[in-house]
Amino acid sequence: VRQRNGRLARELTRVGGAVAATAIVTVVYARWLNVTNATTVALTFLLVVLIVASTSRLWLAVLTSIGAMVCLNFFFLPPVGTLTIADPQNWVALFTFLTVSLVASNLSSVARTRTREALVRRDEMTRLFDLSRDVLLMTDSREAIVQLAHYIARRFDFEYVAVCLPHGTDWDIAENGAAHIELDRDQLSLAVARAGKTLELDAGERMSADHGTMSVGGRAIRVVPLRLGARPIGVLATAGRPVEEGSLDALGGIVAIAIERIQFLEERKAAELARQKDELQSALLAALGHDLRTPLTAIRVAASNLQASWLTEPERHDQSEVVLTEVERLTRLFDGILDMARIEARAVSTEFEWVHPSQIVDAAREQVEQLLRGHPVDVHVESDAAVRLDPRLVSSALGHLLQNAARYSPAGTAITIRVRIVAGELLIAVRDRGPGINAADLPRLFDRFYRGVQGNVVSGTGMGLSIARGLLAVEGGRVWAENHPEGGAEFTIAVPAEHDRRPRPDEPDA
Amino acid sequence: MTGTARILLVDDEPSIQRSLAPLLRSRGYDVDVAATGRDALDRAEKYPPDLIVLDLGLPDIEGTEVCRRVRESSAVPIIILSARGHESDKVAALDLGADDYVTKPFGPEELLARIRVWLRRIASDDRAESGRADMGELTIDYDRRRVLRGEEEIRLTPKEFELLAFFARNPNRVLTHRAILKAVWGPNAVDQPEHLWVLVSQLRKKIEVDPASPKCLVSEPWVGYRLVAEP
Repeated sequence: VRQRNGRLARELTRVGGAVAATAIVTVVYARWLNVTNATTVALTFLLVVLIVASTSRLWLAVLTSIGAMVCLNFFFLPPVGTLTIADPQNWVALFTFLTVSLVASNLSSVARTRTREALVRRDEMTRLFDLSRDVLLMTDSREAIVQLAHYIARRFDFEYVAVCLPHGTDWDIAENGAAHIELDRDQLSLAVARAGKTLELDAGERMSADHGTMSVGGRAIRVVPLRLGARPIGVLATAGRPVEEGSLDALGGIVAIAIERIQFLEERKAAELARQKDELQSALLAALGHDLRTPLTAIRVAASNLQASWLTEPERHDQSEVVLTEVERLTRLFDGILDMARIEARAVSTEFEWVHPSQIVDAAREQVEQLLRGHPVDVHVESDAAVRLDPRLVSSALGHLLQNAARYSPAGTAITIRVRIVAGELLIAVRDRGPGINAADLPRLFDRFYRGVQGNVVSGTGMGLSIARGLLAVEGGRVWAENHPEGGAEFTIAVPAEHDRRPRPDEPDA
Repeated sequence: MTGTARILLVDDEPSIQRSLAPLLRSRGYDVDVAATGRDALDRAEKYPPDLIVLDLGLPDIEGTEVCRRVRESSAVPIIILSARGHESDKVAALDLGADDYVTKPFGPEELLARIRVWLRRIASDDRAESGRADMGELTIDYDRRRVLRGEEEIRLTPKEFELLAFFARNPNRVLTHRAILKAVWGPNAVDQPEHLWVLVSQLRKKIEVDPASPKCLVSEPWVGYRLVAEP
């Protein structure tokens, strides 16, 4: 209301100004200066009309023109003091004056309107430009369409924005803005169907071709079809600040391009994922190819040796030992592949129970008994508390670390296992006395199939550490590696675990 | 060569050593075992073997490097043990002087057969070399640049003869594409295997009884060719 009052006051000021200017010219020329030359007076009035036309609206300029003509006639054209005109020439002069002032008023007014329109256009162009910049900076997040609606609402100060994309028989609608509006799905479908039918040949027509409005709860909502080429892919619904049809059309275009871009980025991401999966598979095949061959060869040769008659009893025993060792190796390999597949498919489930940390260590040592034969193992359990976690996952992860330690340290050197509970986490550190970890390997150590920069020094598939990490992650645990200051590598497992200081019930009090 | 043949088995996998060494001993060979490349080179120098069985994946020195260093001082036959998927290593080792290969997993008889062929070969090399070579049905007369099947002469172009002569000088040995190209066309041609494909197919049409299934000049897929000297 205040805004309307202000506008009225401004209008009244302008009307007053126009009346005053006409009156002043009349009084000054007729009474004080006694100017009788009609041409001088007419030109002065024309000046007043032009000033009014350039600062105010057309209707006021027209009224001023008519007022000035009446004054000219009454006060300056003989016979002065009447509205009659004696000399026919003066009729012509008066008519010319009126025509010139009307044309000038009109021109001036048109120029003003153009300027105003240009300003509006510029404003909308700026908004469109800002929006397109937002769109280009958008990344391929899952929330991209929601973000797009947010950008449109922000850049155009709309009260409501909805980017609607058909999804099967239903609609995916991303909304933004202060207002809450429930869109009618059928009307959206109609809008898309209409846009699909329209064939636009006229560029001028195109501007507002399928733009429509729909009314929801008494609110008018503008509906713009989104097109890629001629194909409608969805609908943009907006409400609030009025926008030119042309800008609305351009807005629709930008939104359509943005959607296409988002979809393209998503497709590219999917393709990237597929490629990674392919790479994973070929790495798996290569690792398997390499790691299966040695045990298979040994088993084949040893088995055929077992059939031969030349063996002595100790030799026969040795050959069957070879077969058993290699079968165990193959079993470990298959367990690893299975674990990896389960981690990959997120099919690892947890079963929490109360256990003593030393049970976990024992279970892990048992798993890799064969490999640990050549290494004395020192175990330091620094906590007597029972912990609640999934012992199978943790011991399996620990088993992989022990396997790693045994493989990468010289035979006969000790492996130390240290178990502590710190800040609600069970920490298990495995330290070997090997050459330590090459600095170049540290960042990728836990990657699948990563074999280190000198990968072929020790046989292996590069699966163990990544499996350990994957298994621990299921329980919210972690694993990391560092070089021990006194030499050798140290791997540490940390698993969040409830713990209990009481001695275990199944254990006699010490 | 006198007495039992001495074989140096180089493999870092204990299970391979434990299964292969008794097998070879059971066939009357004198077997020496090395688990690392360095150890293998030491032993090859101190107790020169009659044949080396060499695994390519060694912990210290690459198997290909072991091949190269052995060749610097010795012509002892080297049979490579390789895993599929390591074709490039295998070819590199052959280029560096290895003579033959067996792909894991192999059956014991396959390896034993290769060993027999190579030990026989060095035994026959001890005979004085004449200007003629007998390759089963084929007789190659180096001096007069002629090839005979029985009494019938096979007409070869000079290039075909050169290729066949190169094979004949290395009977039973796997010759890599690069090695053949280098020997017959010169070092600049090693990256143009198409010369070789064309010439081999021409040569097969003339010397093979059935060129579609060659028995004499056989392909070693992805590696090279081998001239089978004993039918």
